[in-house]
Amino acid sequence: MAFDKLIELVQAGDGELVAAEVQKQLDAGSPAPAILNDGLIAAMDIVGEKMESEEMFIPEVLRSAKAMERGLAVMKDELALDDVQASGKVVIGTVKGDLHDIGKNLVSMLLSSAGFEVIDAGINVAPDAFVAKVEETGANFLAMSALLTTTMPMMKQTIAELEKRGLRDRVKVIIGGAPVNQGYADELGADGYASDAGAAIKLAKSLRA
Amino acid sequence: MKDVRNASRIGRLQFLSDEQKRDIYLAALEIAGSIGMKVYHEEARGLLADAGAQVEGELVKMPRHLIEQARQSVPAVTLVYGREGELAMELGGYNSYFGTGSDLMHTYDLETRERRASVLEDVARAARLCDALPHMDFIMSSAHPTDVNPHHSYLLSFREMMRNSTKPLVMTAENADDLRVMVEVAQELRGGEEQLRQKPYFVVYNEPISPLEHPVESVEKLFLCADTGVPSIYSPAPLAGATAPITVAGHTAQGVAESLFGLVMHQLRKPGAPFLFGIGAAVLDMVTAQSSYNAPEYYQTYMCMVDMARWLDIPNWGYGGTSDSQLLDAQAGMEIAQLTFMAMMQGSNLNHDVGYLDFGLTGSLEEIVVVDEFVGMNRRLFRGVEVDRETVTVDTVREVGPGGHYMTTEHTYRHLRSAQWRPTILNRYGYEKWQTEGSKDLREKAGDKARKLLADHQPPALPEHVGRVLDEKVNGFTERVA
Ligand code: B12
Repeated sequence: MAFDKLIELVQAGDGELVAAEVQKQLDAGSPAPAILNDGLIAAMDIVGEKMESEEMFIPEVLRSAKAMERGLAVMKDELALDDVQASGKVVIGTVKGDLHDIGKNLVSMLLSSAGFEVIDAGINVAPDAFVAKVEETGANFLAMSALLTTTMPMMKQTIAELEKRGLRDRVKVIIGGAPVNQGYADELGADGYASDAGAAIKLAKSLRA
Repeated sequence: MKDVRNASRIGRLQFLSDEQKRDIYLAALEIAGSIGMKVYHEEARGLLADAGAQVEGELVKMPRHLIEQARQSVPAVTLVYGREGELAMELGGYNSYFGTGSDLMHTYDLETRERRASVLEDVARAARLCDALPHMDFIMSSAHPTDVNPHHSYLLSFREMMRNSTKPLVMTAENADDLRVMVEVAQELRGGEEQLRQKPYFVVYNEPISPLEHPVESVEKLFLCADTGVPSIYSPAPLAGATAPITVAGHTAQGVAESLFGLVMHQLRKPGAPFLFGIGAAVLDMVTAQSSYNAPEYYQTYMCMVDMARWLDIPNWGYGGTSDSQLLDAQAGMEIAQLTFMAMMQGSNLNHDVGYLDFGLTGSLEEIVVVDEFVGMNRRLFRGVEVDRETVTVDTVREVGPGGHYMTTEHTYRHLRSAQWRPTILNRYGYEKWQTEGSKDLREKAGDKARKLLADHQPPALPEHVGRVLDEKVNGFTERVA
């Protein structure tokens, strides 16, 4: 296939070579949307599978994601914005009172490598701040992380705040973090829960579809 | 009687040469001095600026002399006393003490053997169990109760720990507000502020955030400890590969810098206040994204940290008796043993997290019983070997002579009870006896022992006035804070 080499380079995580290969494909007349979908995104799908099967380590996955972005940058004039961001726009953050962000950052990085546009609201994010970010960016996903049993209730308050501002129907709410589970997600009426970054990406993709 | 001052004095492991320790220290000075750290507590920034640190906005760069000055003023040994005022731990040197960990969200129920959400009663049960176990030296909450208002959880746990054990405590707290209540109760217990300063009853676990950040709450609690003479731990939890360099030396250097940064703030606030140095050396598994407490790299950074504590001559906060496994299986046995043995081998001082499973998310009372047995066995091992006329006992060998036996000598009789350590749950039955006893494995026997101790053991009640003040202050807090 025409994009074999590109797919290989994205997996190897070499941004320089990915950018060069994308340019070569463009010069040879391949349409940008095809390079994107059958090259870059196809490569990241493989990367995702390899992460799942423990063949690739997380920092390698992140490197591939960076390499993919380099390739994307080469085509930015050729691609309509919709081609890139048809996928979904996520506001992500750690809830108020909670400073744990390692898991949130991982989910955030992997979401962007799966083609989501991610707006990171950081840590210690109050319900109204979350909602303001959703409103301001027009996001269609809200992802909340909590690592403390003391801060989990903030998720509930944030959802209440979304409802109050009439935004609840516009966004899919997904939640995670060590003390959170599916039962809690159901109780809150969240749209989904995932126990790790890999599952989080699958979840977001399934809700996007 | 147990000699608490001689908990296991023989440290024998060294991971770093003197030259390497110096290199790591110099790297830590460079991190603190030329990169600097964010300090979000305004008063602390003022204090640091006045002392000569370079402050630009929230970023503070720490000159070497402030660190050296803090090293001069921090005590090398800190004594901690039990509820009844008896000496319980001499933190420093090669003394190793063990206790539970804090805030586990799930607990294995001793009756059903199922994992379920932790409740307040789990805190009480773990405290009472540890009170009865001879080799658990201090108590943390173990469970994080999910059946109470989250903002009351640390204080309600404190009350249960105090009621259910006479051993000293190590506390976590949400912020200076709930911590202040704990300090006031401890002052009532001791009979005054000065008396608590003389005989600390609990130690507080405070943490900066890696990389290089010191949140308001952490510094607030650190200062409250300095002001009241309550010993403070200031131990970051840098995750190798995520919030710290992935290499052991880099992991250690950043952690040393973060802990020492806290030491400076603490000693500037109150020179000579008791402090514990530490690094929670967790490692991010790059495939599963779990934070391992038992990876070999974790053990390495942990041991390098203890080397550094010894070199700096500051008592250290450490780890023991934990496993990444989800249940008390062979993996757990292996990890518990390795971690605990290394802590003792190196003379790590105040070792917590006994009873942790599942990366610090699930607790097991059976595991606490197993670790207690393991520590007991190894305290025997690290007691050292006495060599004198009586123990070498050539006279007895002469008496028995070729072809005789020692079963009936006076010497055997004299040493019978002290020469051999007796297990309480490790199996030494022959096959058939083991079968008639129910073919039990270690976990079952640990569970039996835990159930029996919980049924039989009741620590002495709190003095009436202390119990009353405890209730007043805790209830006052829970009414005030929604
Ligand atoms: C590292 C750590 C810290 C670091 C945090 C550094 C940082 N920059 O994040 C420091 C030292 C600062 C810290 C502080 C505290 N901590 Co802490 N900490 C941990 C530890 C050891 C690891 C967490 C971690 O990063 N894991 C690795 C990441 C990759 O995993 P993860 O966060 O779970 O994320 C994954 C999934 O959950 C999921 N996910 C996460 N978020 C989201 C979001 C969405 C939308 C989705 C779909 C999925 C998802 O995907 C992620 C990737 O796979 C945990 C123990 C544990 N095993 O969880 C305790 C732990 C969470 N901490 C705990 C406590 C008590 C505290 C303190 C209160 C201690 C104190 N007294 O000071 C403070 C609180 C500070 C605050 N206000 O937040 C307790 C919580 C207990 C409880 N019942 O609430 C734990 C469980 C440890 C324990 N048993 O004591 N901590």
